[in-house]
Amino acid sequence: MSLIVDQLAWGHPLPGSGWRQLFSNFSLTCPQGQFVVVIGSNGSGKSTLLNLVAGTLTLQSGIIQLEGRPLHQLRDYQRARMIGRVMQNPLEGTCPGLSVAENLRLAERRRRPATWWHDVMSIHPNAADRRRYRELLADLGLPLADRLDEPVGQLSGGQRQTLSLVMATLSSPDLLLLDEHTAALDPRAEATVMALTDRLVRQLGTTALMVTHSLEQALGHGDRLVMLHQGKLIGDWSSSERKALSPGSLRSMYGSP
Amino acid sequence: MFSLWLGAYDQGLAFAGLALGTYLTLRVLNFPDLTVDGSFALGGGSAAVLISQGHPVPLALGLALLLGGVAGMVTGLIHTRLGVNDLFAGILTTTALYSITLRLMGRSNIPLPYTPEGVMRLPDLGLGMDGRWAIALTLVVCGLVLLVSLLLRTDFGLSLRALGNNPTMARANGINQGRGLTIGIAAANALVALAGALVAIYQGFADVTMGIGSLVLGLGMVIIGQSVLRPRSVPKALLAAAIGAILFRTLIALALQMGLEPVDLKLATAALLLAALTFGRLRLPGLSRNSGEG
Repeated sequence: MSLIVDQLAWGHPLPGSGWRQLFSNFSLTCPQGQFVVVIGSNGSGKSTLLNLVAGTLTLQSGIIQLEGRPLHQLRDYQRARMIGRVMQNPLEGTCPGLSVAENLRLAERRRRPATWWHDVMSIHPNAADRRRYRELLADLGLPLADRLDEPVGQLSGGQRQTLSLVMATLSSPDLLLLDEHTAALDPRAEATVMALTDRLVRQLGTTALMVTHSLEQALGHGDRLVMLHQGKLIGDWSSSERKALSPGSLRSMYGSP
Repeated sequence: MFSLWLGAYDQGLAFAGLALGTYLTLRVLNFPDLTVDGSFALGGGSAAVLISQGHPVPLALGLALLLGGVAGMVTGLIHTRLGVNDLFAGILTTTALYSITLRLMGRSNIPLPYTPEGVMRLPDLGLGMDGRWAIALTLVVCGLVLLVSLLLRTDFGLSLRALGNNPTMARANGINQGRGLTIGIAAANALVALAGALVAIYQGFADVTMGIGSLVLGLGMVIIGQSVLRPRSVPKALLAAAIGAILFRTLIALALQMGLEPVDLKLATAALLLAALTFGRLRLPGLSRNSGEG
């Protein structure tokens, strides 16, 4: 599904008095299936953009459409059913008190239109669900396949983030939002999660927006790289144009209007 | 002596719905619900009105369930729709319920001198009336534990548990938080009101003040059950709450046996719960520090 951000305006009050207008007439179009990497210095509006798309912040003006549907007109839970999101903190994307299988079940049923009768009459996750999850995790080469009944709170940060990513993509979302989702991971876990990210985004053909501070990730992943500065788009490179960039050249652009 | 323990067992089972309801709101939904003080009395009062007018006991229990559910739903709606703080939403409803219960009852106390016919028809087992009550209440509480346990293992129950565990994640997975909380609180108060009705029938009267301290009582039961049995799954946790109710009433019977004045019971219960919340491992939403660790 294509994502269209058109004429977006958003600001916030400053402590004490005053107002900071972060976005004014901001527009960005991401065609169906495009994997867009968003970089920029702190305060440039990367995470705010993701929060506006996800609906956790309210639009002040402009429009955000996913395949022609204005996202801000949907209820929270309706919007959540269209968007998969992986947060920076591995604790936020999962329910630590529920088992791996129960977390997967929650993600799986996200888009399934179930009647309330079905919701209260069938036991889940059942044996068939467990078998399906085991196969899915084994296919993805994840060791979680043998830990389906363990509480997620007992997993490592990397395993939780991997699970969070699988959950975000399990119901084939129309849009995947990745908010610095490897920032809290060690290099090995980061490599695992990024490899899985690439694989899942390609496999599903879903439109994805990934915010990152890692210039190596920015140059090595996704189909397109955009750079924000103080709520403005100051760079937009396709994957072929990106080949001319280096971490050093990107670093020099940080903070420049 | 045996009849003392059997009486405590019966009383514990009559109160088990209160423990299950408290478990549902505090441990599953992470919602400190003060409505229980009002819904317990509402259940007892409404059942007493119907039974005293000659209506069948199952109908009275059904009405108690229904009214308790409505009371819980009102608290849920006040909190989710009007944005009123969780504790205050419960206080508002429970305050209103005092007048509503008094209106329903028409007076502050209704005696229920006769044992229900259904209980009388149960086998004697050589233990007299307490034995018959034990059979009846065991059946009812086992049914409740089974029902709630099954419900919490469905997709709906999973949504409720997710809401209590990580509301942000639950919302991100398309769960309607307002609706989930409202239905969950309604179900919990339906159980509490049912317990109120069973207690009224068992003790032979309903009083408009019978719900005072119910939350603390329910908490005490849940704490004892969880401390003793340390359950690691939802069905076991529900069973632990019901067994906690029996253990709690047994402790009370023991304390009374050892000379504790009945008038000091609520003071002793509150002191015990305070000690558990302050020094123990129990963390409850809005009621103790670091409650998020729950």
